[in-house]
Parts: sequence; structure tokens; C-alpha cells
Amino acid sequence: MATVAVPHTGYQRPAVLDWITTVDHKKLGILYLYFTLFFFAVGGILALLVRTQLAVADSGFVGNDAYNQIFTMHASAMLFLFIIPVWAGFGNYFVPLQIGAADMAFPRINALSFWLLPPAGILMFAGFVVDGGAADAGWTAYSPLAQQTGVGMDMWILAVILLGASSTIGAANFLVTMLRMRAPGMTMFRMPIFCWTMLVTALLQLLATPVLAAALVMLFIDRNFGGQFFDPNGGGNVVLWQNVFWFYSHPAVYIMILPGMGIVSEVLPVFSRKPLFGYKAFVFATIGIGGLGFSVWAHHMFTTGSVLLPFFGFMTFMIGVPTGVKIFNWLGTLWGGSISFPTPMLFALGFVSMFLIGGINGTFSAAVPVDFALHDTYFVVAHIHYVLFGGSVFAVFAGLYYWFPKIWGRKLNERLGKLHFALMFAGFNLAFFPMHMLGLDGMPRRIAVYAESTGWGALNLVSTLGAFVIAVSMIPFLIAVIWAFTRPQDQPADPWEGNTLEWATSSPPPVHNFDSLPPVRSERPLFDARHGDGAH
Amino acid sequence: MKRLAAAVALMALALLGAGCQPAAITDEARDMNDLYNVVLIAAIVVFALVAAALVYAIVRYRRRDDALPPQFHGGGKIEAAMVGVPVLIVIGLFTISMITLVGVDDTAEPDDLTIEVTGFQFSWQFTYNLNDLGEGGGGMDAEAEGAVSVIGTPANEPVLMMPVDEPVEFVLRSSDVIHSFYVRDFLYKLDLFPGRVNAFTVTARETGDFRAQCAELCGLNHALMRFTVRVVERGEFDAWIASEAVRQLGDGARVRAR
Repeated sequence: MATVAVPHTGYQRPAVLDWITTVDHKKLGILYLYFTLFFFAVGGILALLVRTQLAVADSGFVGNDAYNQIFTMHASAMLFLFIIPVWAGFGNYFVPLQIGAADMAFPRINALSFWLLPPAGILMFAGFVVDGGAADAGWTAYSPLAQQTGVGMDMWILAVILLGASSTIGAANFLVTMLRMRAPGMTMFRMPIFCWTMLVTALLQLLATPVLAAALVMLFIDRNFGGQFFDPNGGGNVVLWQNVFWFYSHPAVYIMILPGMGIVSEVLPVFSRKPLFGYKAFVFATIGIGGLGFSVWAHHMFTTGSVLLPFFGFMTFMIGVPTGVKIFNWLGTLWGGSISFPTPMLFALGFVSMFLIGGINGTFSAAVPVDFALHDTYFVVAHIHYVLFGGSVFAVFAGLYYWFPKIWGRKLNERLGKLHFALMFAGFNLAFFPMHMLGLDGMPRRIAVYAESTGWGALNLVSTLGAFVIAVSMIPFLIAVIWAFTRPQDQPADPWEGNTLEWATSSPPPVHNFDSLPPVRSERPLFDARHGDGAH
Repeated sequence: MKRLAAAVALMALALLGAGCQPAAITDEARDMNDLYNVVLIAAIVVFALVAAALVYAIVRYRRRDDALPPQFHGGGKIEAAMVGVPVLIVIGLFTISMITLVGVDDTAEPDDLTIEVTGFQFSWQFTYNLNDLGEGGGGMDAEAEGAVSVIGTPANEPVLMMPVDEPVEFVLRSSDVIHSFYVRDFLYKLDLFPGRVNAFTVTARETGDFRAQCAELCGLNHALMRFTVRVVERGEFDAWIASEAVRQLGDGARVRAR
């Protein structure tokens, strides 16, 4: 009998080379998480500089020029280098696991999506060392102001184009993965809710991000080659930039929050020991938010005098409906449950309560005549932070504490986690609630200094104090992470009594993800396996 | 349960107290403030109800044993209510918003006082055309020519003089980047664009000094683009215009104080 000897080389690539060349969705997911959490820290340090500058009236801490760079880069880091790609990180790791696939549909493209991020991050932040400094026209880069600044602005534009390319091809990859690679038995309406939110997010990215890329290319041409797209003296239109920018950037707000809603909608049912209340309503509400998200962009422009106010006011109110549906989904999930409170659940509940405020204070600006007063004041700064910090960041930590045992095979310490939550929750409200009052009292956003006579000093000091409490809350988190890594990988496949397929494989999962899959007969295959289909 | 209700009620009162807008000094601002108060009350009621339900659920349904709770997935009627209630709330709020919007969207009559506002990096220019001074011609000859201007700098913040109790039209232009004309006690702002003219009209009902500043990031000294709106009686306004006209235009101007 002829045999072919297949030599087992036993060759192992060096770890660094392995991480750089990997196409394993789990390793890429971990790289995404490391990268984005690094920029969360960078953006956080910039936020502390902003808050220190504003702590007292007539402050000269960083100066006007540096201040404009710092708050611009704070927003750019948090939005483009943290929140948007952090969902790609969670999605990379968990979408294939949750649908019972072995990897993403296009593993090499997946690696490309990630490896576009580091050069973009470096390019954007290298602005700080070039002549004229980093981009300083705000993350909104309104023209013609964005035409005036130095080469750091060009670097910012190119970086955002790279990041957009990353998220566009990443979105295509997620869509194909979820549409084509689900496990046998997993119909669309049995897909885990986190996957649904990633699917709608991917659709938004695919449709909206190219518009941003086009706008940025026009801005780049305007700046460097006399394009005059946005220059009224050359027949261009100043307001055009705002229209194309917000056509992307409003849907982008949903890109930044929908996957967070997905994580919370995984965590709440597990720790309430009940299914998500109104699964289909939640899916349709997510699709509704995605669809309506494309028709509300001009509510960022109510004070330009060039907006069809009734239409955009109406659509903006309407987007409150699917958002309200989700609040009911979460309340209904808790109602009648058997609720326990480990750290991921605390962060999920923090999300629900803070996002509730972020939803409600948004309706003020939907009422057009009210927005005339509130637009571009600290009220709006409060609103976006209740949505993107009280919402998205709390969801990021809910996800980290929830999935940490799956990714690394170790649990984060519960006491440290609870301390982290308590400090972050208190610090967050201390930092951002006073901004409502500051906004009502007429404090515009993006000002580097304010006069003593305004009387804004006291509330600003409270807000700054809150920002530092948030920073301190990261200490127990970091200790918990470092401590966890000194311990053995002792976590079972399913430490939380989870519902979805990622808990059907070992922690951490093998390279090929699953040795076998349980049957999928509902959106909770592991619950069915534990309790029998009859319990459903 | 009682304690929860009391805590929620107390929080709602505190929010109501903290959530008030500054005094509105124009007719338009007073209408917009009424709308704001309606939205504020709706917001506090919704927040209080949902927060109370959330806290109640967390306390009432915490895990006590290993028994599996009823596996309730939702149902048609309750899900219809989930959509119906928010729809009713937002349609109601939208309707009153639009009524207010139509009410405050005043257009100036040709003989109203017009103040031309030009924003620049980093201050303001306020221009009063002597043949467009509104009621009674500002004590000027109807054929008066020329204009009175106030130009500020970041260090020397300009004062915008306007008369009380009559409609005043603001015509907004920018000579460089986008700015925003924001007077806190008007509860209003409108952007200034290069290459485009924006305008709005308000009727002030209170005299006094009111702080104001640029609300759209416009570069290095954006924060210093401050000014004061000084609302005065018509007579005082006329006297100020007349003295400025003499000072700025000199004897060559055809100015005649009546």
C-alpha cells in the first residue's frame, strides 16, 4: 500500500509574526479591541485636558490654539478610532461564533480591514508634531474654517478616508458572513440580537461611509488644488459640506450605538433568565432606526436657515418611536424575570438608564424652536455624551465583562468590576449632567475660555471633577484585567448560563471554533439545550 | 413602593427646577419658552415613569431562587402599545412645535429698523443705515444718508444697541468663515455664512444688557467673539444714533436732530 508521508513540521511562527499575519477572526477581534481601547485611553486623556482647561473661568491652561486641536482630536479619537471600530472588534470575535461559523466570510479582507486602522491612527495623531499642529476645526470640519488650517488637517482627512475604507469593506464582510454562513437551523429570525444590530450597522456603513469619503475628497481638493466645491466665491456652496457630512455622520451615530444596544440585549436576558421581550419588535425597531437614520441629518443644521424645518423636525421626532420601542423591550425583559447583578448586568442596566436620558434630552432638539436656543450649546454636548458614553461606552464595558471569560478563559474580578461600575456611573453623571444647565444658561460648545461674569465656573468645576472620577474608575478595571491575566484559564464553556452559540464551545474557543454544534430551533439554542425545547 | 414614588417625585421636582431656561426677553422667545416648558414636562413625566418602572423591576424581580421564571416572549397587543404610545407622544410634540415655529417666524415690514450684522474673525460689526431706522426715522431726516457702525475686537467687545417694544430685523453676513449670532435671552441663534444672507426679526420687551457670543466654532479666538445686546427705550436709542452719526460722519453728513 502506497503511503504518502506528510511531514509534521511542528514549526511555530514567532508570536509577533503570528499576530501580524493572522486571518483568524478571533485574533483580529482581539487586535481590534487592543487598538480601540488604546485610543479610548488617548481620547480620555485629551478629554481630561479639555476639562482641566474649562475647570475655571478665564483659564490659560493650554491656550486657545492647543485647545482647538485637543477637543478636535478628542472627538476624532473617540468616534473614529474607538467607538466605531470597537464594535468591529466585538463583531469580529462574536458574529462568527454566534452564528456557528468557523470564521468570517473573507478572512484576508478582514485582516485588511484591521490593518488599515494603525496607519490611520498614526497619521491622524502625527498632526501634533507637524507645523501648524493637528486638525483643529472640530470633528465636523466645517468649511470654510477647515480650509484655513495647517497640514495636520490634510493628514486628518486622509486618516478618516482610510478609516472609512476599513469600515466599508468590514461592513461588506459582516453582511456576507451573516447572510451566507449561519449554522443549519438558524433562520434570520433565530439570529442572535447582537448579530442583528451588527447587520443593520453594516448596512448603514455600506450606504453612508462612501458619502463621507466623497465629501472628504472634495474638501481635500478644495484645500490643496483650488477645487472651490465649498467656496461661494468660486460658485461653491458652504452649506453643501454640512449636508454631505451629516448625511454620513448622523447615520454614524447609529453605527456607534446599535451594536451597543445589541450587547445589552444579549446581557439583559441572560441575567434576567428570560428571553428578550419582543425579539421581532426589536429587530424591526433596529431596521426602523437604520432607515429613518438617513432622513434626519439636517437636524444638525436647524440654525443654518437653509433647512426644510418641518420635514426634518418630523423625521427626528419619528426616530424616537423605534427608540422608545427598545426601552420597552428592555423593561419587558426585566419584568417578571429572575434578575442577578454581576458586573456585565450592572453596565447593561447603566446603559438602559443613561440611554433613556440620552433619548429624552434629544427630543428637546427635535422641537425646532427649542433647538434654536439649544443648538451648539453644552446641552447638545450633554446629549451626545449621554448617548455615546452613557450608552455606547457602558455597553462596551458590559460586553467586555460579559465576554472576557470567552475570549481569554478568565473572569474579571467581580468586586473590582462593581467598584469600576459605581465610580464610572457616578463620575459620568457628575461630568455630564451639569452640562444641561450650562447649555440652558447659554454656554456655547467648543469655547476655550469663558469669563468669570458668566457664572459658569461652579458647574464646570463639578463637571471636571466628574471627568477625573471617570478616569479613576479605570484603575480598578485595569487591576482586574492584569490580575485576570496572572491567573490560569479556568473558565468553563458557559460560565453565565448563556443563550447563544458562542457559549457552546470552549473558553477560549479552538482555532476552528466548534467541534460540534447544538441544534438551533430558536434564538436561544443553549437555553433549549439546558432546559429542553419544552421550557421555551 | 411609597418611598420609590417619593424619591421619583422629588427627583422630578429637582429636574423641573434645574431645567428652566433663562428669562426670555422677546415675544418670540416667550413663545419658544412656552414650547420648551411643554417639552420639559413631557420629558420629566416620561423619565419618571420609565425610571420608576426600571427601579421597581430591578427590586421586585431580583433572583431569589433557582426556579426558572415564566418564559414570556411578548405579544401582539402589548407590542402594539409599545409602538402606539411613543407615536402619540411624538406626534403631539411635533404638532405644537410646528405651531410655535409658524408663530415665531416673523418677517420684517419694510419700515422696521434693520441692523446689519457682519461676523468676522474674531468680532462683530453692527451697522445702522440712517435711512432704515424704523419708527419715526430715529430722529433722522428721511433723506439722511450714510450709516453708523460699531466694530468690535476680541479685547474690546462691541455693544449692539436696539430699541425695546418694536420689531427689529437682523440681517446676517459673514466676511470669512461660518459664525453664529447667539443671544442667550433671545433663546435664539442663526448662522452667518460667507456668500449668503440670513435674516430674522424679534421684538424685545425688556430693557437692559444681555450677553451674547458666537456659537459656531470659527477658529483661534472663537471664545472671545463676545458682544453685549443693549435694549433701550426708543428715545435713548435715537439719541445714541444721533450722537454716533455726528461723531462718525461729521458735519458732512446730512444729519439733523429734530
